[in-house]
Amino acid sequence: MNYEEDIDITNEVDLVVSAYPVQDDDLDEELLAADQSAQQYQEIQIPEVVKKFILLFHRSVLENNVYELQSIYEHSFNKLTEKFYANESWPEPEGISSLVNDDQVFLTLYRELYYRHIYSRLTPTIEHRFHSYENYCDLFNYILNSEGPVALELPNQWLWDIIDEFIYQFQSFCNYRNRIKNKTKEELALLRDNSQIWSCYSVLNVLYSLIQKSRITEQLLVSKNGGDMVEAAGEYGSRPLYKMLGYFSIVGLLRVHCLLGDFTLALKMMDNIELNKKQALFARVTACHVTTYYYVGFAYMMMRRYADAIKAFSHILTFINRTKQYHTRSYQHDQINKKGDQMYALLAICFISPNGPNLEDPEVIEQGVTFEPVQHYTKIFMAEVQHSILLPTLRSYLKLYTTMGNAKLASFLEIEPEQLRTLLMMAKMRSRQIKWVEGTLLEGEYQGTSDLDFCLKQDMIHVSEAKIGRRYGDWFLRNINKFQDILGGLELSSRA
Amino acid sequence: MTRVANTPSNRPEVIQSLIDGVDRYNPDNVSILEEYLATQCSNREVDVMANLAILKLYQFNPHLINDQVVNNILVKALTTLPEPDFNLCLYLLNEQMVTEEPVVRLITLRDLIEQARFKDFWNVYESGDEIYKELTAEVLGFEDSIRKNIAIAVAMTFQSIEAPILEGYLHLKGQAFLEFVKIQGWTEANGVVSIPINKDNEAKTTVLTENIKFEQLTKIIGHSND
Repeated sequence: MNYEEDIDITNEVDLVVSAYPVQDDDLDEELLAADQSAQQYQEIQIPEVVKKFILLFHRSVLENNVYELQSIYEHSFNKLTEKFYANESWPEPEGISSLVNDDQVFLTLYRELYYRHIYSRLTPTIEHRFHSYENYCDLFNYILNSEGPVALELPNQWLWDIIDEFIYQFQSFCNYRNRIKNKTKEELALLRDNSQIWSCYSVLNVLYSLIQKSRITEQLLVSKNGGDMVEAAGEYGSRPLYKMLGYFSIVGLLRVHCLLGDFTLALKMMDNIELNKKQALFARVTACHVTTYYYVGFAYMMMRRYADAIKAFSHILTFINRTKQYHTRSYQHDQINKKGDQMYALLAICFISPNGPNLEDPEVIEQGVTFEPVQHYTKIFMAEVQHSILLPTLRSYLKLYTTMGNAKLASFLEIEPEQLRTLLMMAKMRSRQIKWVEGTLLEGEYQGTSDLDFCLKQDMIHVSEAKIGRRYGDWFLRNINKFQDILGGLELSSRA
Repeated sequence: MTRVANTPSNRPEVIQSLIDGVDRYNPDNVSILEEYLATQCSNREVDVMANLAILKLYQFNPHLINDQVVNNILVKALTTLPEPDFNLCLYLLNEQMVTEEPVVRLITLRDLIEQARFKDFWNVYESGDEIYKELTAEVLGFEDSIRKNIAIAVAMTFQSIEAPILEGYLHLKGQAFLEFVKIQGWTEANGVVSIPINKDNEAKTTVLTENIKFEQLTKIIGHSND
């Protein structure tokens, strides 16, 4: 492969993105016309090196050359994007169909990248959003509803990105739909007439279908409890494409349910995935690894299981830190660092509302009502934070004393003694959390989480602290071993 | 013992399979879950996973929303505070519902319980022409459940407490108060209620000592065979 050289000697060609003019209700007709003109335009415009790239890409897909596809997907595509398509879309899929003998499967895969590039670099129009959705439907239909399992093989990274991007575009669409202001009548009409596009049910349906087809749950159970893996996996699940898509769909559901504010259901999705297992499948793709822990941590946090949340976040932050140097060159890098920063700042994720505004209601449209799910969630969460706001101050005082009168401490805190009593009871209630010990993520035991404890005997507060005793064991162990080594050495030299 | 929060021991099989499978998304199943909620309201049990499944169906199918059911789910969740159930339910409601009067009132009650302002809780609960009592009317034994949780918070915090203060927290007086104290296994003498030591209210200074694992000793044991 020699693209870098080729790129350097090829003349740069400025491409013009053809914007779809939409004034007509009949979208398809308009699009067809636009496609045709774009096609004619782009056949002349596609640089030679890009044509070569597409030919190699097509061949690699036909030959199931995962190794080559990996390189195409992770490097060549991004390099060419930087060179030619930093601010423009990639050539229209229709414009390249003659290059690939109108291979529909390849074109579907190409469109996946084509729209994903538009989402990340440009601003997708409503038509882009609709068509990308339809393309995902085509892709999943091909995978799920062909006669027997399809022969296609793709790199794990790409399979993860397909699920990840599918959910991202769903999320993006929900937010887009919520902003009624600045939308034209035509756009509103399109949204109203196509309510099934990017609907919650359709997205969940895809993810659950992939899980069922791949029999991934059965496979995970066998790997946990033992049994016949070939039998558990079945015809579809024994192929890497299905197995990985099924697995990634589980993590995808974890994310979707978090976005929808259903944190118990989110963690329930992970019932059969063992987070603490060394060679877990999610660790094969870094982005999946990070996503998994991020949403598990987030769900725990929203369920007030702070000890578990901290454990999940610190695991993945350490991981990001440790592996930083290895993936600085990959395009995933930015994404992962962003997630890392988000976790450090504990920024709320972008919640979505599943239904969006009622577009049948003229009042809603007239007023341009905007539903902001993030604010809704923040309000609920902040109430909880506000309740706890005095606790750190209380704690810092308690640390200074072993016994203290209730009235005296109340005067330090400038509150009434009765208020202090309630504050102390609240601190007690808060210190007891469910913490994971074994089993599924939702399971756990009540445990005290504070190293500072206290009790009240009428109006006297008694404080106690958990101290960490000195550790002798390790020191003795090391020195016993050292001593043995010296003895052994002496015996050897005396024999000699 | 490991447990999933608030799972009743005798969850019916049909409910279990709804919770575990994709049938939980089928709007036709909402009535089964609603009936199960009605059972919980009369037998004083709470199954938060099942109730969240109702709210999930409502979230996806707003036309199904039954305000009384939502109300009862939230009242049930009040009885499990300080567990996070109440908030987990709120996250599934849409913004408009959370700003409506009945839900706002229940949020007020939540705030007071969460902040352990038990006396204020009863004051608000008794105020305004029985309006709060009407909200909680369909949940049998609501007051008792709240009182039970207050007793837990008190027993975590106090070894002894003046009776008048405790009366305020429990909203009980005279014979009823003394009986409640007795049932808890607490004792009252000279206007002070004593609470037996438990692991939450003992406030014992603990020293965390190290544990040496057997694996760390393998080398030393190996030496002894030399």
